[in-house]
Amino acid sequence: MNASGIKTGLGAYTALFLVFLYGPLVVLAILSFQTGPEGGPQFPIIEWSTYWYKHLFGLTPPSRIAPLPIEQALVRSLGLAVMTMIVSTVLGVTAAQAFRRKFRGSGVVFYLIVLGMMVPGVLVGLGMALVANTLGIDRHWWSTAFVLHVVYTFPFAFLVMLAIFNRFDPSMEEASWSLGVTPARTFRKVTFPLIFPGVLSAMLFAFTLSYDEFSRTLFASGRDLTLPLAIYGTFSVEVHPNVFAFGVLTTLFSFALLGTYAALMMLSVRRAKRIAIQEEA
Amino acid sequence: MSMMAVAEQTETEPVVEKKSPGKALWLLAPGVIWMSLFLVLPMLMMVYVSFWTQTTFTIEPTLTLKSWVTFFTSDTYLGALWTTVRIWLIVLVATVVVGYPAALFVGLFVKNKALQTVLLVLCVIPFWTSFLIRVLAWRPMLGKEGAINMILMNLGITDAPIEVLLFSELSVIIGMTQIYCVFMVGPIAFMLGRIDTSIIEAAQDLGAGFWRIFRTIILPLSMPGVVVGAIFVSVMVLGEFATSAALSGRKVNLLGNIIVTQVGSLKWAFAAVAGVVLTILMGAVVAALLRIVDLRKEL
Repeated sequence: MNASGIKTGLGAYTALFLVFLYGPLVVLAILSFQTGPEGGPQFPIIEWSTYWYKHLFGLTPPSRIAPLPIEQALVRSLGLAVMTMIVSTVLGVTAAQAFRRKFRGSGVVFYLIVLGMMVPGVLVGLGMALVANTLGIDRHWWSTAFVLHVVYTFPFAFLVMLAIFNRFDPSMEEASWSLGVTPARTFRKVTFPLIFPGVLSAMLFAFTLSYDEFSRTLFASGRDLTLPLAIYGTFSVEVHPNVFAFGVLTTLFSFALLGTYAALMMLSVRRAKRIAIQEEA
Repeated sequence: MSMMAVAEQTETEPVVEKKSPGKALWLLAPGVIWMSLFLVLPMLMMVYVSFWTQTTFTIEPTLTLKSWVTFFTSDTYLGALWTTVRIWLIVLVATVVVGYPAALFVGLFVKNKALQTVLLVLCVIPFWTSFLIRVLAWRPMLGKEGAINMILMNLGITDAPIEVLLFSELSVIIGMTQIYCVFMVGPIAFMLGRIDTSIIEAAQDLGAGFWRIFRTIILPLSMPGVVVGAIFVSVMVLGEFATSAALSGRKVNLLGNIIVTQVGSLKWAFAAVAGVVLTILMGAVVAALLRIVDLRKEL
């Protein structure tokens, strides 16, 4: 389109839009370097310091500001995310594998699974709490909250794997079967390496969604806090820059995860290329 | 949007497989059982409990309509319902208004594929921060001594800080718009990217101006994207309670907030009623949006 005036205008708008998206996070990151304990969560920065980062790890002398209860919460959140990642990836791969052939009622099953990512956490969380109440089950992060996390992340894993299987050439597996290799071994040696990038993506989705999930956990996890619940606890009280410091650290952790994912993905692509070259030779 | 397409494909594409039909059942069973037990059952339980009898600290499985009557005769609950609908509508419009021009630029005006990807990735990166941290990040922005007031006062635009920015309905709307507008930008940019540019060139050759092209070609062709984005935004905004808890100073009570406080005071039956009302509202909104555009046909 040669409407260059409009293009410039929209470009400038998009730049503003990105400022809107990133502004609060940048401000939050800057304020996390406020001096402490007297410096509050606002400008101006009285003095640049890493006080609140030390505060987070309990390295500062006790002050009137209580430290965030993150130590135990971090262990729980990571444990929950790993459990959720494993189970929802396995469920996602098996369900998508079943969808490779046509079967009656596939539409209903598809929507049943996808419903899990659409229904808001506040509703399933409430429902789960009611079920646990009625059955007299105690609510814990590793039981009732865990199953809800899987309800949420399994659809993502399923959709990723469905997309992978749609581009998948079944003749590879058929060749293996016709050579007399057992289906289990075929899956391990032929199918799995081919779908590995998808599995990796499904795992990344499940882990990060679970690590960040909080409305389901709020209703279904009982008394023990996970990391998002610890943050949620600060909502009703005065916010101090230690929460901002925590926000910066957890963002860096997510980026590290993303980096690991990218590295593994690159390795897998490179290995696939190397094998392709060997086959040609 | 891609999931619809995927559903379509899986249903129409005959896949050659040499396994017995029983195998598919075994592969499917764990997922279906999991979803039935931990998604469908809790939702049904919520509907069931909404008809239970609420006493001070507990609920009894004696069926009654009392909680429903209480809900629809109480100003607090009806007020929450109205606030939820109002905030949802405002945020929905705001995400379209704020997101559409950005999507238009990324999807249609940026010809360079690499730049297009970079811009889309830039939109997604904030999602790698915790949702609650993103909500909380608005507090130092909007507060009385916040960044926005500081900038406005330093520029001499206002003399006194604008207090309505934080702990008001406005702050909730600003926060939600920022958090959810990317779900609008993505689908719209996707649909705009699929427009055959030769149609636009033809319209230009015939002398149509930008607004005419926008109204008659670009906007109608991007509607499925708007609808998909609207479904995402609606479902998320209607189920919200954290943003209003963090940014409204308890002034804005959505149905989600009602559920949280009722559960906190062990009023399970009332919470269940609010949950069912929210589910019905959400179902109606999604159904209405799907009526506007036939997604299966458009995608």
